[in-house]
Amino acid sequence: MDTLGYLGQGFGVALSPYNLVTALCGTLIGTVVGLLPGLGPINGVALLIPIAFALGLPPESALILLAAVYLGCEYGGRISSILLNIPGEASTVMTTLDGYPMARKGLAGVALSLSAWSSFIGAFIATCGMVLFAPLLAKWAIAFGPAEYFVLMVFAIVCLGGMAGDRPLKTFIAALIGLFLSTVGIDANSGVYRFTGDNIHLTDGIQFVVLVLGLFSISEILLLLEKTHHGQEAVKATGRMMFNFKEAASVFVVNLRCGVLGFIMGVLPGAGATLASAVAYMTEKRMAGAKGTFGQGDMRGLAAPETAIGGAACGALVPMLTLGVPGSGTTAVMIGALSLYNITPGPLLFQQQPDIVWGLIASLFIANVMLVILNIPMIRIFTRILAVPNWALVPVIAIITGIGVYAVHATTFDLFLMIGIGIFGYILRKLDFPLSPVLLGFILGGLMEQNLRRALSISNGALEILWSSPITFGCWVLTAIMLLMPLIRIWRKRSAAQRAIADV
Amino acid sequence: MLLQRIFASVLLLACLGLALMAWPYQAAFSYEPVGPRAFPLLMLGLMGSALLYMVFRPAPIKHSEDEPPLDRETLTKIGICVALLLVFAGTFEPLGFIVASILIGVPMARLYGGRWVPSIVIISLMAVGLYLLFDKLMDVPLPLGVLDVLEN
Repeated sequence: MDTLGYLGQGFGVALSPYNLVTALCGTLIGTVVGLLPGLGPINGVALLIPIAFALGLPPESALILLAAVYLGCEYGGRISSILLNIPGEASTVMTTLDGYPMARKGLAGVALSLSAWSSFIGAFIATCGMVLFAPLLAKWAIAFGPAEYFVLMVFAIVCLGGMAGDRPLKTFIAALIGLFLSTVGIDANSGVYRFTGDNIHLTDGIQFVVLVLGLFSISEILLLLEKTHHGQEAVKATGRMMFNFKEAASVFVVNLRCGVLGFIMGVLPGAGATLASAVAYMTEKRMAGAKGTFGQGDMRGLAAPETAIGGAACGALVPMLTLGVPGSGTTAVMIGALSLYNITPGPLLFQQQPDIVWGLIASLFIANVMLVILNIPMIRIFTRILAVPNWALVPVIAIITGIGVYAVHATTFDLFLMIGIGIFGYILRKLDFPLSPVLLGFILGGLMEQNLRRALSISNGALEILWSSPITFGCWVLTAIMLLMPLIRIWRKRSAAQRAIADV
Repeated sequence: MLLQRIFASVLLLACLGLALMAWPYQAAFSYEPVGPRAFPLLMLGLMGSALLYMVFRPAPIKHSEDEPPLDRETLTKIGICVALLLVFAGTFEPLGFIVASILIGVPMARLYGGRWVPSIVIISLMAVGLYLLFDKLMDVPLPLGVLDVLEN
């Protein structure tokens, strides 16, 4: 019953007035950022890192702020997908399928509050799962040595490719770009300058915030230039705002199922919210069968992906907190934030700084409640924000991005570097490369190299250490399965195509 | 397809160049079996082989339906936007945050389809507002540049 005691302690931290205000500000900022086109949770969290640092927030408050922004962004993305039929990011594509038809039917308010409720249940289930499993995983993770960590990270990277589906090769290349970028700068072990080109600003390596904002904000600004059509008219949210008991009851089973599914998918590295929402929607659609009106405004079709996203967003924090291995782009950004505070997430965090871990978990509960409460009175204001035209928005995004980058080191070199990275990111995007693997690779790169070198120092250069223990061996087996998955999928598709030809 | 081949080839060349750059990285004194050279070379090697595969077998790009094909007009726009961002980076310190923001913010707003007067009004207000918000309220120091005289 230690866990409950710690959880109580966590609520003590999270419920202090200071942290409550922080969480409230975070959810508000997050919702607005998530609403705006082109800004998602990754940008939102990354922009706030230097600001949280400059404000001198204590680490637990900073983490609470970032977690609240994260959840708020997920929530804001939902508003634009339901009212505008424009998904703010990949994970909310499934929400538009039934959310927008619902809004067209005059149920916009109901759709919004129901999605908030679904996401709350998903997050609630996942947070409960986290309370149950995270300490166990953390205890088990203490048995991990450098070799085990290295193999685990290889697994995480390969997972990304295996789960990404249609473009494993590009995902793999993107991750490798990130891994390589992490080696720029002075080598901590030997003091050798690597890939700096004698540039003094690069000795410290590429700053994390610079990479994130370049890749995501700048490339998005350039992408927005192509979109000539000026904003779709938002569906007016009028009439009933709150769902009624009958509606909530009709999707409750869906909520439970998809919440558990979302949590499991969130914990797996590389899967994340996008895949969770897609799988949840497809499963529910199949289960409803011909009776469902999926695609025409079925409430279950709205509840399923939203619950899964809520579950996955919280589930993704489990590997980050217990193992220090991020499972998604956003958690990778949060690790970057933690390292600014000199906190290394991992199994020891649970013992050394329980305040931070349990304060964060408790504040997730609180931020979720806040989002549900905020939803109802604020929705009219939020729909106003959607009407802001691009010409006013984009320059402001560009300027704020500039401030975020300048705030880290106060050099204009970082600004130039950010623009360069942004152009590179734009090209990658145009060629259909996914960007979050770059980020994940960048975060994991340093850890991977350190653990590999440490492991080989222990074994005095013998490579057997990388597969001799049962944990490492198990990880390699899983890695092999993950590597085979895309191949199997291609093979299946091919044989299905052949069968189709044979049938004709 | 062709674009992908070109991109993969360019990146492949970059990999080769970086690998050559990494070759002499060796620690003068070392107590560990793996030096600073191994990991970057491993990554570059893996990336190189993946890119080589891509040069010969590029994957088709799926376009989403609302994405117009790139034409000359958009490309010029993108060029202008990049140039504006570079000007922003270049003038950030010498001219100061407020002036630099207005200088690039207004043309940028025009680029995205704003009209002159509202663009100037909104961007100027935003620049001053953001300066006050970040510099005074949130303690993120921003350069004042040419407006330094106003400080005292």
